[in-house]
Amino acid sequence: MNDKISSPKKGSVVIVGGGIGGMQAALDLADSGFKVHLIQKDPSIGGTMVMLDKTFPTGDCSMCMISPKMVEVGRHINIDVHSLAEVASVEGQPGDFKIKVKLAPRYVYPEKCTGCGDCEIKCPKKIPNEFDQGIGKRKVIYSLFAQAVPNTRAIDARHCLYLTKGTCRLCEKACKAGAINYEDKERVIEINAGAVILSPGLDRYDATVRGELGLGRWKNVVTSLQFERILSASGPFKGEVKRPSDEKHPRKVAWIQCVGSRDSHNANPWCSSVCCMYATKQTIIAKEHDKNIEPTIFYMEMRAFGKDFDKYVERAKNEYGVRYQRAMISAVREEPETGNLMLRYADEAGKLIDESFDMVVLSIGLEPHKDAAKFAKTFGIETNPYLFAKTSPLCPVQTTRDGIFVTGTYQGPKDIPDTVMQGSAVAGEAMALLSEARGTETVHKELLPERDVENEKPRIGVFVCHCGTNIAATVNIDEVVAAAKQLPDVAYVTNTIYACAQDNQDMIKQVVKDNNLNRVIIASCTPRTHEPLFQETIRDAGLNKYLFDLADIREQCSWCHMGQKEEATKKAVKIVKMSVAKSRLQKPLKTDYVGVTPACMIIGGGIAGMTSSLSLADQGFDVHVVEMEKELGGLTRNLFRTLEGNDVQEFLKATIAKVQAHKRITIHTNTQVKKTEGFVGNFKTALSNDTLISHGAIIIATGGTEYAPAEYLSGESDKVITQRDLEKRIASGEKFNPRARFVMIQCVGSREEPNQYCSRVCCQDAVKNAIAIKEQNPGSQVIILYRDIRTYGLREDYYKKARDIGVMFVRYDVDKKPQVEKDGDKLKVRTWDYMLNKELMIDADWLVLSAGLRPHPTTEGTGKMYKVTRNQDGYFLEAHVKLRPVDFPTEGIFVCGLAHAPKNLDETITQSLAAAGRAGVILSHERLAVSGIIAKHKKELCMSCLGCFRVCPFDSPYIGEDGKVAHNEVKCMGCGICAAICPAKAFQVNNFRDDQILAMIDAASECESGVVGG
Amino acid sequence: MNKAVESTEEAKAPSIEKPHETPEGWEPNILAFACHYCAFAAADLAGVMRLSYSPNVKIIRLPCTGKLDQIYVLRAFEKGIDGVFVAG
Repeated sequence: MNDKISSPKKGSVVIVGGGIGGMQAALDLADSGFKVHLIQKDPSIGGTMVMLDKTFPTGDCSMCMISPKMVEVGRHINIDVHSLAEVASVEGQPGDFKIKVKLAPRYVYPEKCTGCGDCEIKCPKKIPNEFDQGIGKRKVIYSLFAQAVPNTRAIDARHCLYLTKGTCRLCEKACKAGAINYEDKERVIEINAGAVILSPGLDRYDATVRGELGLGRWKNVVTSLQFERILSASGPFKGEVKRPSDEKHPRKVAWIQCVGSRDSHNANPWCSSVCCMYATKQTIIAKEHDKNIEPTIFYMEMRAFGKDFDKYVERAKNEYGVRYQRAMISAVREEPETGNLMLRYADEAGKLIDESFDMVVLSIGLEPHKDAAKFAKTFGIETNPYLFAKTSPLCPVQTTRDGIFVTGTYQGPKDIPDTVMQGSAVAGEAMALLSEARGTETVHKELLPERDVENEKPRIGVFVCHCGTNIAATVNIDEVVAAAKQLPDVAYVTNTIYACAQDNQDMIKQVVKDNNLNRVIIASCTPRTHEPLFQETIRDAGLNKYLFDLADIREQCSWCHMGQKEEATKKAVKIVKMSVAKSRLQKPLKTDYVGVTPACMIIGGGIAGMTSSLSLADQGFDVHVVEMEKELGGLTRNLFRTLEGNDVQEFLKATIAKVQAHKRITIHTNTQVKKTEGFVGNFKTALSNDTLISHGAIIIATGGTEYAPAEYLSGESDKVITQRDLEKRIASGEKFNPRARFVMIQCVGSREEPNQYCSRVCCQDAVKNAIAIKEQNPGSQVIILYRDIRTYGLREDYYKKARDIGVMFVRYDVDKKPQVEKDGDKLKVRTWDYMLNKELMIDADWLVLSAGLRPHPTTEGTGKMYKVTRNQDGYFLEAHVKLRPVDFPTEGIFVCGLAHAPKNLDETITQSLAAAGRAGVILSHERLAVSGIIAKHKKELCMSCLGCFRVCPFDSPYIGEDGKVAHNEVKCMGCGICAAICPAKAFQVNNFRDDQILAMIDAASECESGVVGG
Repeated sequence: MNKAVESTEEAKAPSIEKPHETPEGWEPNILAFACHYCAFAAADLAGVMRLSYSPNVKIIRLPCTGKLDQIYVLRAFEKGIDGVFVAG
């Protein structure tokens, strides 16, 4: 046989589902040398996140975060988005799958449609808008939402008058691009790919099943997702909080939790993990929109288990006056006169109360898609009994079929950051699987050399776009063209129906060449979506891409000033003037490159660091693991079983063996980092064992420690132990008295000042150990004293199991904590029982304390060394709570495991794979491009006052060897805070230089009539 | 003497305290400085949703509102802009 056959593995990946998890995986893979096919069954990518108004716990606007990512996916040269598409079959093996994809007819030519929306205005038929959860209406030819990607319209064939009744064709007449295609047919394509990633997302529980709650019957009962659309500025009420029946502003609004969750009767037994937090968010945002609203949340248990979640709930209570009422609602009735709703519940004292509300929001849970069983069959994977993809806590993103990975809510209910983490984790897994095929299927654009225009006088070309009728109906294009011709340095002006259409792009290129233009302005739409497209166009014409400017006369003019033709035209002229003023001062910018050392240093040799190291080593990179202790394993050494029953010690042993055997991994035990310098791609680190390493990325996996309790007679009695001690005793086979009584106390050292956070693992530990005790000795008793049992997601099954086999749960309040005293060899525990409204006195043989987690003591020093921030509780703070959960703001440094926040073993493994995926993206590049839009530092003007040094969020200014301020452009993100603060104006941001902004201000303030303010 | 003092005070006071009369139908010229990532995106959304606002508002995009230099604000007022709106 030939000994030099090329790898049979494919360098491409199919991703099924374009929500935030699928998009993250797609971008990570495509940015690191893999071709991606993104299959989306809707006409646009975006998934569930695009429907949300804001996100917890930061209150960030959901669309503002996801929209740039969607644009990036849509424009990526190595991502093919197949929308309205579904996978029909998958054959083959890991590295070489054949995937058949069915493409539903769109009835619009994607290559001709510019997304202008003229057709939508003319379409005569309106149907309920599924994106707005049926509250608003949409047309039959439509885009799913305003920021849809692709923005190509689609015809909903079920409702189209022409396609169903053979009459209408108004959209065809309205479309000036000739993009309507009524003859479109379903097609099937075949894709050959090395790996498959499943990210199909979720469905929501159909709350009409629970008729007693009144959804679909009483108008003012809405689902939480409907309320999300009501809050949204782009939703049916434009962000005003109104109730559907009479569009009045509700005052008293009730949220009912666990609708469709934690209930095995006509609903789902699992906890949906997100509802407690999204309800809290909705109350806060509703109060911010309308301060008269009085929100009440009816809940069973407040599961604020994530990073900084408890603080968010405390804020809702204390700053926003949100009322949290622990009660289950048995029925909702409408008061016929008012449309108000009567809720009946039992208060904590057991008294029945009827309370009237203006509006009710049902916090509906998450569930797999309706066709989940068929979906699993198509891909040949197994599911769990609830039809989520089957995975193991120790391999949390692998399905039962090799080469097929899963991310997001199809793996189990979870929130956005956990989904994004899994997105990067599956990307890392696919990179490791297909490492030898990296770069075999991606394309790189060959660019012509740039024309040198440095010393030429500006010759500006201005193209004024009609955008069909979108601009031309409101703005007099001829007048704008005529006015532009009068402006200085403008050499060429023309109008165009659609500047972004393919034929017009070719026209622009030709005009640039024919007229020897050296600056281009397109007066059309927003730079946020269209600037990269036009920059590419002028680059193809041989011009530096930074010699382009977009004058937005659509979003900022024609669309906002409809029916004001004269004013809008005047404003459009002004916008073009401002753009010309800026463009005249534009300079070609060079894009620099820095080399990348393809190696990674990982600080911490626990399960997090080891998992990352194996993934990166399998991807083909050298890895250095630096562990301060003498052996690997970290806190995992004290874990014996997972809640689901996996043997952790065996897994740990196997992992350590794999790490030790891997030829790309170097382990440095008993070692600490002495000094690191450098930046992304080029770090140099000196270790305490006198090794000097060069590496391109850093993963901080320094872990955490367990709180050693001082309360509840800890240390005073050998009968008072921690959950971890108990787990060890159970694992070592210790025989307890078969009739022993165990009392467990939860939240020891958690959820209280000064540690106002949930340690996330203790509830499952208590449940796990309680089940083990009861299974060993059914005659023994376990009583768990808790504040809220937070067995989120599918962990809820074990909470139920514990209750079923007789584990007793007694709630306590933080103001009335249990009291413990010694009683000879035994212990007495006193606690208040809210069900009986009496104090309980329990004789206990064992008292087991659920001790919380703490950041590792080295966290502070590591934070200082790398200038990365930590949150109030001392855990490292990621770059963005929602969308960058393993990144630091400083490029090239990543975080995973307990160093980031308390989490369970499966979550640590996921996050470590994600960190490896993210680091892999950087390390896979031979060199990294530095953006052109960065701050430039003029040393001769600088007085080294250190103003910039203090304010820069990215640490790009530094003190050079000469003791003066210098600037590392690789780290610079171009925000320009340095430029604003610099008293000497030594910093200027390319393309946003002061002279350019001032020229725009001057152009904006010039008045045609000669009257100030005219 | 006293009267003279009073009258100078009277003459001085209005030039500081009393704003200029605005003619009927006068509309202020407003310049907005918007962060590319949030407020500028909001302006896009306002357009997509066809929300109407006065055409006398013009927008200058900044990479971050932290880039706003006091010089920009002063220059705008110096050149006769009536109001500056910073959003980010």
